[in-house]
Amino acid sequence: MAEVRLVDIEKKYGNFLAVPKQSLTIHDGEFLVLLGPSGCGKTTTMRMIAGLEDITSGDILIKGERINDKPPKDRDIAMVFQNYGLYPHMTVRQNIEYPLKLRGVSRADRKTRVQETADKVELGALLERRPSELSGGQRQRVALARAIVRTPSIFLMDEPLSNLDAKLRVTMRAELKHLHHELGVTTVYVTHDQMEAMTLANRVAVMREGKIVQLDTPKKIYAEPADLFVAGFIGSPSMNLIDGEVSGGVFRADGVEIPVTLEDRKGVVLGIRPEELAITQDASAAISGKLYALELTGESTLVTLRNGTTSACARGHADFEADIDSPCHLSPKDGARIHLFDRASGERLG
Amino acid sequence: MKRSLAYFGERALLVLISVIVLFPIAWMFLTAFKQPRDAYSLSLNFEPTLQNFVTVFSEPWNLGSMVMNSVIVATVTVAIAVPCAALAAYSFSRFRVKGRKFLFFLILSTQFIPAVVIVLPFFLMFRQLDLLDTRIALIIVNLAIVTPFVIWMIKGFIDAIPTDSEEAAMIDGASRLRVIKDIVLPMAAPGILTSSIFCFILTWNEFLFALILSRRDAVTLPVGLVSFRTERGDLWELMSAAGVMITVPIFIMALFIQKHFTRGMTAGAVK
Repeated sequence: MAEVRLVDIEKKYGNFLAVPKQSLTIHDGEFLVLLGPSGCGKTTTMRMIAGLEDITSGDILIKGERINDKPPKDRDIAMVFQNYGLYPHMTVRQNIEYPLKLRGVSRADRKTRVQETADKVELGALLERRPSELSGGQRQRVALARAIVRTPSIFLMDEPLSNLDAKLRVTMRAELKHLHHELGVTTVYVTHDQMEAMTLANRVAVMREGKIVQLDTPKKIYAEPADLFVAGFIGSPSMNLIDGEVSGGVFRADGVEIPVTLEDRKGVVLGIRPEELAITQDASAAISGKLYALELTGESTLVTLRNGTTSACARGHADFEADIDSPCHLSPKDGARIHLFDRASGERLG
Repeated sequence: MKRSLAYFGERALLVLISVIVLFPIAWMFLTAFKQPRDAYSLSLNFEPTLQNFVTVFSEPWNLGSMVMNSVIVATVTVAIAVPCAALAAYSFSRFRVKGRKFLFFLILSTQFIPAVVIVLPFFLMFRQLDLLDTRIALIIVNLAIVTPFVIWMIKGFIDAIPTDSEEAAMIDGASRLRVIKDIVLPMAAPGILTSSIFCFILTWNEFLFALILSRRDAVTLPVGLVSFRTERGDLWELMSAAGVMITVPIFIMALFIQKHFTRGMTAGAVK
């Protein structure tokens, strides 16, 4: 187990700045998720920790030791790749035992550990097969088994679930969470799926254009997004973001009037989560418009209304029914969090 | 009706091309089993004999020593060229070094030079080194001819291997050389095997340099064929028998390549 510190690390490809100078500490035993859209630099950051990518400047420290110049094999890490990175010419057994073989573990010891690890990820019966004879989920398990077979100081996982179907992804997510609980190894996990980040992480680092824009617990990030980007990125369905202005202590937009505590100002974006909006019959409600869409998700119905440039979604009861284009009113529930952002800079105003 | 006409025309063209390509080969195979008196006849009605094969291996033709020269020159060339080319191809494929593309072009550009242009400098060089009429000279020349080609070929196969498995091995604890040995070479094996066979065929068939650089001791099979043009005229039946000796190994290798060429070893590596 180990603490990982990135100190002022920066990555440039020629003139292109992929990861601007920044620092990050991943605590011992922590599950940290790097979350962001494609091309935001999260995988590059992870590959720098792994030693697969040189850093342009700055330092990486594992257990307090500077490892900038150490090759990947000497960093005591294990990594699960997005495309698994299995060895197609080797059997499942050979794949899992390869890291042990390279470290000179005896044949007898290897056999025992491979069997134990394979059983842990339910691969015990498939040890003599080749990767091409396995399903996507099974291949993913082989990659996972290969990573955990030697209990490294740090686990790096690069979108390990992104190639699995939705159902398997949920199952594997729970298994990863359990595995982390069981092994307690410091884990850095890269994903663009905010649901994975929220469910797995102790802390989430939300990245945009190479920079960490918010680093906090999933709960905090959900409740208090640092800026407009994070507000829109976290949550499913995403937060309602309504363009408008504040005058006389009231936020106003097409069909919207919500009291806020902010001085008069134009170019304001109001954010409120769908689950914090209630559907009401009251024509003087905070948000009014015409019903645009009804989407039944099973446990609830997503109700979307529109009025001019305003579009807002609320999570209603599964039984809710109404005609499209009929008048629709929404109001913030008691204790609902209203977020205000500056349109131009995206900064949080309140 | 229109479609069947096109279909018929296409087939007819294919048959015609096949006949043009295969006729000389069929003629050579038939002539190899003919007696001298039947050699010029196109008739299929002849009394087959194996005497030609016995004759070419005995005095004064001594095809045996030429077979040995060809086998040694081709095998040693492959044994040196392929491992070197595999490492070079890996470097060209994986390392982003400045000037990489130019260097690769430079290596390939050696293939653009007509052999006849450089055969004389080679002759002078080997005369100076006292290596004329030696297998070593032929091996060196063949290495210069085939290595760039094999680098280019193997690079194509290595380019197709996803880097994920290599990176996984590096993180698992392998050094770069170990990654090449344990991961890249087994995954590129069908490609390397194909390249080796191509390399062998190129060297086996090489004629011009062998003709100029050998006299008596290092004569290879293709050059040996010329010796069947004598003052008594062209000994077609013997030349054909020797031709069969040259062609059969290449035929077998070509069949082998065909089988391996389509086999993908990367299946199951990713996703």
